[in-house]
Amino acid sequence: MYLGIDIGSTSTKAALIDGKANLVAQKVVNIGTGTNGLELVLAELLHEAGLTMEDVVYTVATGYGRLLCDIADKQITEISCHAKGVSYLVNGTGTIIDIGGQDSKVIRLDPLGRVANFAMNEKCAAGTGRFLEVMGRVLGCKLDELSDLAGASTREIQISSVCTVFAESEVISQLSMGTRREDVAKGALVSIAKRVAGLCKRVGVEPKVVMTGGVALNKNMVEAMSRELKEDVQAAPYTQAVGAIGAALFAMEAAEKKENNNG
Amino acid sequence: MDDDKKLTSKDFLNQLVAKHYEGALQAKAEGKPVVWATSICPQELLETMDLATVYPENHAAAIGARKGALEFIENAEGKGYSSDNCSYARVNLGYADIQKAEAQDIPMPDLLFCCSNICNTVIKWYENLSKTLQIPLILFDMPFNHTYEVPEHSIRYMRGQIEYAIGQLEDFTKRKFDYDKFGEVMELSNATCEWWKKATDWAKVIPSPLNGFDMFNYMAMIVCMRGNADGHRLFKMWHDELEAKAKAGLGPWNSAEEQYRVMWDGIACWPHLSTTFKALKKYGINMVTSTYPDSWNVRYEKNDLSGMAKAYASNYANRNLDYDEDNVVRLVKDFSLDGIVYHSNRSCKLMDFRQYEIQRRVEAATGIPSVVFDGDQTDPRAFSEAQYETRIQALVEMMEENKEARRKG
Amino acid sequence: MMSNAVSIIQELEAIALSPYKSVMRTMKETGKEAIGCFPIYAPEELIYAAGMLPVGMWGGDTELKLADRYLQTFCCSIMRSNIEYSMKGAYDMLKAVIIPTFCDTLKCICENWKVSAPRIPVIPMVYPQNRRIDAGFVYMTEELERVRGALEEISEKPITDAMLEDAFAVYEAYRSAMREFVSVAAEHPEMINARSRHLIIKAAYFSDKKAYTDKINKLTEALKKESVKPFPGIKVVATGLIAEPPALLDIFAKNNVAIAADDLAQESRQFRTLSRSDGNVIQRLAWRIVDQQGCTFLYEVEKTRGQMLIEQVRKTGSKGVVVFMMKFCDPEEFDYPIYKEELERAGIPVLYLETEQQMDSFAQIETRVQSFAEMLA
Repeated sequence: MYLGIDIGSTSTKAALIDGKANLVAQKVVNIGTGTNGLELVLAELLHEAGLTMEDVVYTVATGYGRLLCDIADKQITEISCHAKGVSYLVNGTGTIIDIGGQDSKVIRLDPLGRVANFAMNEKCAAGTGRFLEVMGRVLGCKLDELSDLAGASTREIQISSVCTVFAESEVISQLSMGTRREDVAKGALVSIAKRVAGLCKRVGVEPKVVMTGGVALNKNMVEAMSRELKEDVQAAPYTQAVGAIGAALFAMEAAEKKENNNG
Repeated sequence: MDDDKKLTSKDFLNQLVAKHYEGALQAKAEGKPVVWATSICPQELLETMDLATVYPENHAAAIGARKGALEFIENAEGKGYSSDNCSYARVNLGYADIQKAEAQDIPMPDLLFCCSNICNTVIKWYENLSKTLQIPLILFDMPFNHTYEVPEHSIRYMRGQIEYAIGQLEDFTKRKFDYDKFGEVMELSNATCEWWKKATDWAKVIPSPLNGFDMFNYMAMIVCMRGNADGHRLFKMWHDELEAKAKAGLGPWNSAEEQYRVMWDGIACWPHLSTTFKALKKYGINMVTSTYPDSWNVRYEKNDLSGMAKAYASNYANRNLDYDEDNVVRLVKDFSLDGIVYHSNRSCKLMDFRQYEIQRRVEAATGIPSVVFDGDQTDPRAFSEAQYETRIQALVEMMEENKEARRKG
Repeated sequence: MMSNAVSIIQELEAIALSPYKSVMRTMKETGKEAIGCFPIYAPEELIYAAGMLPVGMWGGDTELKLADRYLQTFCCSIMRSNIEYSMKGAYDMLKAVIIPTFCDTLKCICENWKVSAPRIPVIPMVYPQNRRIDAGFVYMTEELERVRGALEEISEKPITDAMLEDAFAVYEAYRSAMREFVSVAAEHPEMINARSRHLIIKAAYFSDKKAYTDKINKLTEALKKESVKPFPGIKVVATGLIAEPPALLDIFAKNNVAIAADDLAQESRQFRTLSRSDGNVIQRLAWRIVDQQGCTFLYEVEKTRGQMLIEQVRKTGSKGVVVFMMKFCDPEEFDYPIYKEELERAGIPVLYLETEQQMDSFAQIETRVQSFAEMLA
């Protein structure tokens, strides 16, 4: 068995791949680096697969917390792991958009599914899941409710896409003027999509465009992204575990290479 | 021939704006060359050579005011330009790619004419245009005046560039430069600037007949029409109207009285013109002056190339702190200001990074209150209505306190 | 031989890591007064000829609190740091500073300095952007003469032509030594990693040039004696204003990414342009500005930077270009889209890093550099 671990800032994910590159199991827990998230996710993962750590031959860690993961045999960045994971799950992927809790990334792949170019957002809440958290707080709803709200929007509202603080004050202004929460929620999603679209243009967009990360579970977010890019956008299966799956695939490759070298 | 009795300067202004853009588009259609130039450039040379010229800064402002800037900004940022870069540049570089705007089209250029008295950013912006469009660039580099006065060797350098530019224009147009016409254009430009200064000076009267935000509209024409008869006529017309209004004791608006007189430091927030204007008018705040009237008061003796060079190098942005302080203090006194609104314009570092010190010095010298707010000239995203309203209200409270104190004696 | 090289490397790194201490020590050792030199270019030869020590002022990693009195937050960190240091008294050992007005921010800094550090006189300087026409060349020489006069006043003695020639020779030796060093260092990335390379070059800003050149020459000689080994990592060309802070470069070293050549304002742009030999020293200094190509801060309508980077990549066998984009540096930000497109057309991968001098969180940089290395492997 080959284990991939993705230790993010707000969640920890793990995946198991067998010797035939079949996805055996994947798990997500919503606590991140610096907590017992890793322990938890491994326990749940192994339990579901009916296995123990002894069945694991090789481990690759990725994500923000990868450098501090001492059970990993190797650490590889989430850029490479996302590319690997998404290519495996969705045939013909050309561009990957990942909107994480604290940052967002766009990865363009070459025809063989390898990283051709990538860009990450600049140190700023706008264009990340953090922005949606702030919006959710102002609208008094949880993230998944935000998407449902947006679905019922009937009017387009512009919300700043460069500054979360300004955007927050705009939203408060709008609500106090009587704008519907549904329209504000939609405006928030469009705002993130615009910001991320800007990042995409720097890297170049090749179809198929696939979204990953928790935010991609949000159907209206995917739609907003599609509209901004003027391209078809789909959410990857196992949107949050994609990185861990890619890491597990890398684990398999690394182990085989090691064996070939030894044998 | 227009009936001057019925034609107001506002009507004429609108006509000229249309004529300006149509003329340039027409020139392009006829295969004549078009120039893109910076806002306080030695346009005398272009008028002398009869070259159709448009001003990207004016164009960007117009696009911004009609709320169309985002499309061009996003295009430029998609190519890798930073949101940190001047938004006029981002709009224009985006336009150079898209080449169509709902607000107004301009013809693509064959020649670039860049003068760095307003900032060094235009050098980078125009350099990029030249490289991207593969067309020639005529540069007037006007050294920053860190001394109070413009130094002699800077004048010599700038004069040398003017002379060199004339050669470049002759090469470009394959025509000889007509020095007689040049002299006439110089005379006309000076006369137009004189009317501009005299017109804006009527705002010294209490109440001011000039609504400051209106001044921004006329400013577009002082940018592009100094050296031609239409421009001269417009500014004289405007001056005469303001004089008449002032003598009749009329204030800036029909629907409200002028209660407070302020200077607006910096350029307008074009995408939020209405919002920023209304918040001021609500309290009866009239913007009676800014540093712009003086910056376009480009005056020198006819045929004095050195004088012309010096005049162009002398605008507010190109001067040192001591000069700027004196300039603003003089405006406070001459225009009887009650307060100052400082626009911390995200796009304009040359103005911004001296603002705090100017604010302190002017307050120390004059005692009048001021506020700083965050905005941008054309990027609609860099402005918060809530912040602006709060700051303006705070300014009103401070100005009112001062008035109270004066009433009590 | 190897240990000789190692000890020189360690010495120079230590100098670069403690600018303040290094300057104080050099002043003591040479007995010279120090004149601060703001980026981008300074006429160091004039200062040296005046018998004073030119000192580089490229900001630093200081907490920014006092500078807010003068500057909004969207001001580049080098300038904010310099103003901050000036207000904290960190520059009190300087007799004067030279501030050139290459960009709009520098113009304002020049003015603010007069108020933020009134006891340290400023010698403002304007480099002509229209440098390739006669009027521009003449203006450059006149500015240099004016600065010479200002330095004579400060040193209270004349700067003779003979003194100028001596200083020029010292600097020619320095510049030539640096060109050789960077070329040889590119062959030995295992000995001179990204961090070392930067610190070695930076040490020049806090040293007496003659003594420093001597050390560089010895280091280069020692390196030349080592055999050139195949490099298992990745070679890149660095471009931008500065490649700092050093912790950033540790990440490069950790990922086995070596800097084979640079187009950085703080580094090779200072010494890559050959001097002419005609004219007096003032004219030769002016010619160097006229002849400088591919520099963000000197108007150049051809914008040859992209082509220069492509050539550097090919010449050094590098795999890509790393852009060290210091946040809020307008001129650099304007150049980027142009050379980015040229590099893309030439099929050269580009890594974009946004930096500030006060960086304390490097996780994003770690990811970017490592991903780039993984991508190019």
